[in-house]
Order: sequence, then C-alpha cells, then structure tokens
Amino acid sequence: MADVRYYDIRCVRGETTLVDIDNGVIESAGTSFFDKAVIRVLGPKGWGVLTRDHVDMDSKRELDALVEAAARLAAVTQDDINLADAPRGALPVPPLGEDPRDVDLEEKTRLLAGIEAAARVPEVANTRARYTEGIDAVRFQDSSGNEYSYEAVRSGFSVLAIASRNGVMQMGSERDHIITGFNLRDKQELGRKAGEVAVSLLDAKLAKGGARRAVLDPELAGVFTHEAVGHASEGDLVREGASVLAGRIGERIGCEGLVVVDDPTLHEFGFIPVDAEGVAVRRTEIIRGGILSSYLHNRETLAAVGNGIPGHARAEHGAPPIVRMSNTFIENGDATYDEILAECKDGILLIGSRGGQVDPGRGVFQFNAEYGYLVEGGETTDMVRDVSLSGEILSTLHNITLLGNDRKMSPGYCGKGGQSVPVSDGAPHLLLESATIGGRGE
Amino acid sequence: MNGEDLIDNILREGERQADEVEVFYARGESVSTEIKKGILGTAEESEAWGMAVRTVKDGRIGFSSTGDPDRWKECLNAALASGRIATPQQWGGFPKPAGITGTASSSDQNLVVAVEGAAEMVGDLLSGAAEHPVEVIGGSADLARTYLAVANTSGVLYGMDRTVAAVSLEAIREQSTGYEFDASPFRADIDARSVGEQAASLAARSLSGRDIETGRYDIVLSPVAAASILGQVLLPALSGRNVKAGRSFLADKIGEQVFDESLSIYDDPFAPGLGSTAWDAEGVPTRRLVFVEQGVLQRFAYDLKTGYRYGEGSTGSAVRFGSEGPGIGVHNLFVDGPRTKEPGDERAVWIHDVVGAHTANPFSGDFSVEISNPFWMEGGELADPIRTAMFAGNVFEMLREIEEFGKDSRRVGRLTIPSIRLNNQQIIGR
Repeated sequence: MADVRYYDIRCVRGETTLVDIDNGVIESAGTSFFDKAVIRVLGPKGWGVLTRDHVDMDSKRELDALVEAAARLAAVTQDDINLADAPRGALPVPPLGEDPRDVDLEEKTRLLAGIEAAARVPEVANTRARYTEGIDAVRFQDSSGNEYSYEAVRSGFSVLAIASRNGVMQMGSERDHIITGFNLRDKQELGRKAGEVAVSLLDAKLAKGGARRAVLDPELAGVFTHEAVGHASEGDLVREGASVLAGRIGERIGCEGLVVVDDPTLHEFGFIPVDAEGVAVRRTEIIRGGILSSYLHNRETLAAVGNGIPGHARAEHGAPPIVRMSNTFIENGDATYDEILAECKDGILLIGSRGGQVDPGRGVFQFNAEYGYLVEGGETTDMVRDVSLSGEILSTLHNITLLGNDRKMSPGYCGKGGQSVPVSDGAPHLLLESATIGGRGE
Repeated sequence: MNGEDLIDNILREGERQADEVEVFYARGESVSTEIKKGILGTAEESEAWGMAVRTVKDGRIGFSSTGDPDRWKECLNAALASGRIATPQQWGGFPKPAGITGTASSSDQNLVVAVEGAAEMVGDLLSGAAEHPVEVIGGSADLARTYLAVANTSGVLYGMDRTVAAVSLEAIREQSTGYEFDASPFRADIDARSVGEQAASLAARSLSGRDIETGRYDIVLSPVAAASILGQVLLPALSGRNVKAGRSFLADKIGEQVFDESLSIYDDPFAPGLGSTAWDAEGVPTRRLVFVEQGVLQRFAYDLKTGYRYGEGSTGSAVRFGSEGPGIGVHNLFVDGPRTKEPGDERAVWIHDVVGAHTANPFSGDFSVEISNPFWMEGGELADPIRTAMFAGNVFEMLREIEEFGKDSRRVGRLTIPSIRLNNQQIIGR
C-alpha cells in the first residue's frame, strides 16, 4: 500500500440512556447501544474516510481491508494535506463521584420526576424533563504506532417549563451536564427555577431593538465567547479562508486585559483526555491582552496555517475528526457585578442562553438570551423577553468595557459540519458598549 | 443472520415476553465528497446498520436500539426493561397489514452510490462557482441509498428504498459570503452547476452593502429564509403531542381563521420528496393531510402513541431520525397559496437566509435573527446589497397578513415553500 502515507482508526462503542418525562408521564426510559468506527487514510494528496458500524479492531485482516478501501477513496482527492508533528499522550480521566451505572433506571426516573415536578409551580401549564447519560468506550490506533483507549461518562438533564395565561405562552429552561459522575441528585431547585422564570416572563415586556449598552451574565457571555471568537479561531475555517480572523495573529482585536481561552484539560463538560487524532491536549490562549495569539488546530491545519496549538481535533462517534472547541471562556477581570451595573447606567441586562450561530467568513454572529432586565440609573427594572444580540467579530471585542470577576462555566452541545459534541463555555459578567439588540418591541 | 431472519427472530423471541413487538430496521450506504479551498478535499464512504425495537405490554411501551446485530438480545431485553418503567397508557395495538395503495416517489433506480458520481457533481459545483470572481471555501456532494423496513407481530412487514443526491457550496469574496444547496431523491433533479453559480453570485453581489436604518419595511423572504423561520415554529405547533401537552399556540383553534386566507399548509407523502413514503415509521399507511386550508386550521398530526392516548387516531405522521424512537413529524410539507403577482414587484428588502433561526421561541412564535445576503429589491430584481441587519417578529402574527407568494416554490429539506412578501416588518440596523 504505497499510496498510504498515514492511517488511523477510531472506534467508539457505548450506551446511551434516555429518560423523557412529559407532564408527569414517563414517555420513555431506556438504554440503546452503538458501535461506530471511522477509518481515515491519507493518500498521496488528501483523506479517504470510511465509517462503519461494528468493526473488529483486533482483526488485522478486517483492518487491512478497510485501510485499502479508504486508500481507494483518498486517491480521488486533490487537496495537498500534510500532518504536523504534535506531542502525544493522554491525561487521566477524572474519577467518577457516583458511577451512573450503579444507579438503576427506576431510581434515575424517580429523581428526574422530582425535578420535573418541582417545575410545576402555579400558572405552569406544561413541564418536561429529559435525562441523558452516555457511556463511551473509545479506542484509537494509528499507523505510527500510537494507541490509546479511555472511557467517557456523561450524565445530566434538562428541564423545561411552559407557563400560560390568556393564550400567552412563555418558557423557562435549565440544564446541567457533568463528566464526573451521576448528576440527578438534589437538583429540584433547577426545576423550580425553570418554572419561576416561565411564570415571570408572562409579565415581561418585549425588548426594543437598537444599539444599546448591554450587560451579559456569565452564561450568555460564554455563548458570546463561543460564537464571537471561538468558531472564527478554528484552524480549518482559517485554512479554508472562511474566517475573518485569518492573517490577524498579533493584531489587536479586543480590549486591553481580554484573555480568551480554549482548554480541553479542564474537568468541565468539554473535557477530552486526548484529542481524536491521538494528540495531547493543552490550554490554548486564543486572545491574550486583547491581541489574537493562537488558532485552535489539528495536525493538518497546524501544518497548513501555523500560529497555534494542536490537540483540538474532536469527533462525534461515527464521524471524522474536525477542529472543535472544548471548554471556552473569557478570563476574569476585576470588576464586581455592582460596578458593572453602575457603569452600564442605562441599558439592558441579558441572562441565560437559547443558543447562537455565527457566519465566521462574514464575521457576523447572533445569539439569543432567555430573558433580561432593563437597566435604568444603574438599577435593574422591568423584565424583558425574546431578546437577541448580534454583532461583528472584528469590532465587538473592542466594545467590552468592563470584565467582571465572577466567571462561571455552563455545559452545552455545539454543532458544526453536522456533528454535535459536548462543550462548555463561560465568562464573568461583561459590559458591552453599543451592542445591537434585536427585539420587536416599539 | 441477514435482515429479515433477524427481524423474525426478534419478533418471535419478544412475543414470549410482551403483548406486541415492533422492529424498525435501516441499512444504507453513502458517499460524500467535500470541497476544501476550491478543490476536492476529502472523500468519505459510509455503511450504516441500525435496528430499533419497541415492545408493548399492558399499555407500557418499551424502546431500545442497536448498531450491532450481535447485540440484538441485549437490545430486546433493554426494550422490555424500559417498558417496565414507562407510564401505562391507552393502546389499541400496532397496525395490521393494510392494502397500501399510494405509491411513494422516494427512490431513484438510476442513482449509483459511487465516489466517481459524487466527484463529478463537485466538478459541476466548481465550474458553476467559477462564473463569478469569488473564492470557494467549502461545499460537498453526497449520494446515498438506504433500505428501510418496519415489521410487527400483527403481521406488518413493509420495506422501501430511499435515495438522496445532495450538493452544497459556500463562497466568499472579501467579507461577503454566499451559501447554496439542494437535495432530492432523484439525481437528475440536481443541477450542481447552477447551485455553485448561485452561491458564488450571492457572495459576489453582496459585497459593499450599505447600512440600513432601523425601522419598518416591506420584506420578501426567500424560500430558504421562510423555511428556516417557519420550520422552527410552525412544525412543532402542528404536532398533536405539543397540542395536547399545552405547548402549541394553535391548540384549541381548529376551525378558526388562524392565518391569512391565502395560506394553505399540507403534508403530501406521495409527492416526490425526501420524505415520500406510503407508510409511516410505525407501519401506518400515510395519507395527504391538510393542516391549514385558506388560513383555517383543520387538524393536527398524530402518531400511534399520542393518537391512542387522546382518542384521536394516528394520522400516519410518525417519523424517525437516526436510531431514535418514532415521533410526530411531516413527510413532505407544502406551504402554498395562490400566486397573483410577483412578491418583489414593488420595492422591498429581500432576505436570502437568516442566522440563528433555531433561537426562535417555538411556543410564543417570537424571533429576532441576523439576516444573510439582504438586498433592496426593485421591480422583481435584486438591486443594491444591504450590509447587515436584524429582523424581528412573530411567526404567528406574520402569517396573518401575507402580501404575496412567489412562483418560485422550492424544496428546502422536508418543506416546499415559495418566497413570501410581508409588509411593515421590523428591521434593526446597526
């Protein structure tokens, strides 16, 4: 197989347990099984990739046949791919507090039902809760003789409450996912919070659109970090000319004191012990002191682009690795929350996230808050709903005028290229000058 | 063990422990070629195998799935275990074999799943894009064939082929991007060259857009923008499960004039499309369903579980994605209305797509999104590009007053939808 410069195979075999409770009815509660393999071959030019269900990695014959089939695919590609050398090694996976496998399905269902019931406060018309548990056994080997295996355990839930009055419906939702053990005990408080937010939104006003000073809470500021900086710093987008951050290493793109980090080594929801190409993971400072300093890379984008750190290749099971974020955040500054509100004076405080999206080539992003409050004379006043924020990557970061000292991380899932991977993001409270607020209030 | 032997084994084994058993089985192959920096970057080939089992005992429904045929017993046991926990409900049994009369147009006999065919589509995409001064940053061409089967202990055993040909291309010029795509069961429907040309044209023509002031404007949503916003809000509101759970804005409004009288919304599972099928994901025969006729709400969609629970009966609306259990969905949804004149004849802001449609509030219908490739439209033609702006509104309110539908109905995933002109909408400039 002269035309094979490199190959690797990554198998993920595991179980997913889901419990879905809707208005007190246990709609489903059970476990499903998967066993996915991805084989990649680097031919004379680019990648040939095969995905299969259920491959026996220990069968040399099966492996050889798959590598040969992938090599035939690689032969049609024209892209000149080279792989940079990168440090190897895997971190230990954090120990599990309580192993979710030691808790039976009945108990998981009972605990989830408790959280769901807690969301049913007066005026809440519908409640729904979902428990998600994933046990992944990951095995990797490549043609350079690298091999590793590890087990990833994820456990968490989301709860949704819908309040209804005179035909008006509003929602509140909370979620919590961890990698360090079973995560359903003593969480009724989050259910209650979802219910209370939904009910208070019934009386909230529609936000008025336009440019305004905005305070972002740590959860929303985390999504802001992810959408406004994170994606555009991904080495594959930079290489393909799809990022406005291409060619800007060393340039000031944000306020002084701004430090933006992606750190897969943190034991947050985006933790990985080693990346999906067998490369060691490490903390990467994307922005340091307001200056763009590093891209996020895998081996091929490091070779093609440089100026960054590898170890950011990730893959959903059954899909080839691409450059992804893990735990992405803005480091603390020194302002207190009260100082930020006082400095905002008149503007809007935005809380929680319904998600966001970015067009990294155009450099434009949008994300949506769960709710907010008007800020008048440095005090929060009326509650507002259905408010989103959009901005341009290259100007928005200059508009951060205060960084809080209260960073918090929030778990979630991030979609890119049809693949979804667990991530976390976070920040302290932030003050943004002249943010574009989208709302349909008059 | 091949597919049908395995299905038979599971049904027989499962029936010893449950009242009823259902097996849904899918196996497929696909190829995908990806464009990187204007050339064919990666070639991928997949073979997938998956099976989902449902068991019913005393009205308790259990579910499990597996991608490994050797684990079928474990999967069956997991389904039975899951059934022991589920809340029991009214249940009238899985469907019996029916005289399926409709024919579905979901498979192209001539579609060959081969990397050479996908590479040829990449060539066409790139030659289309080359007509404009842009750089191609990404794109793909995919060909897939799947065999789906559903079987149950009441004697149903249906199987069908489904094919997909899909292309997409993303282009950039300075900081102006353009993205276009198309997908169909039929290879001959896909004009890859035209898709590449359109994406490149959007990127090239959107350059140097001018700012727009915050205010109220008449707008035209392209089929892509309309599908993004409506898909997030309208589809969940038509699901019988959301209706009965108190999560649908449209609940209790059957027979009412909920939308503009020009608007009709229907699901046609027999029309050619990505979701065409003569039986749904639970083996219930499908039928044409009119949800909204001339603005009047007619009905909601149900699967077996929700149908039995609320005495409504299944509407043949069960769908499945990946290895998940069945849920309520649509097969080929049409948003339609009479065409009188073109929506862009009078001056308007034309919106190609939106960023962040998934953040819309599916219950209240409120949304505020960033718009992509907006232009001033004059006399039906795209004139000057607009730099950037947000569009805020409410889906349910917006559909109460529709100015015009375009003649340009287009398939966007499982939706077929024309351009829609809406007057007096909120645009937020920078």
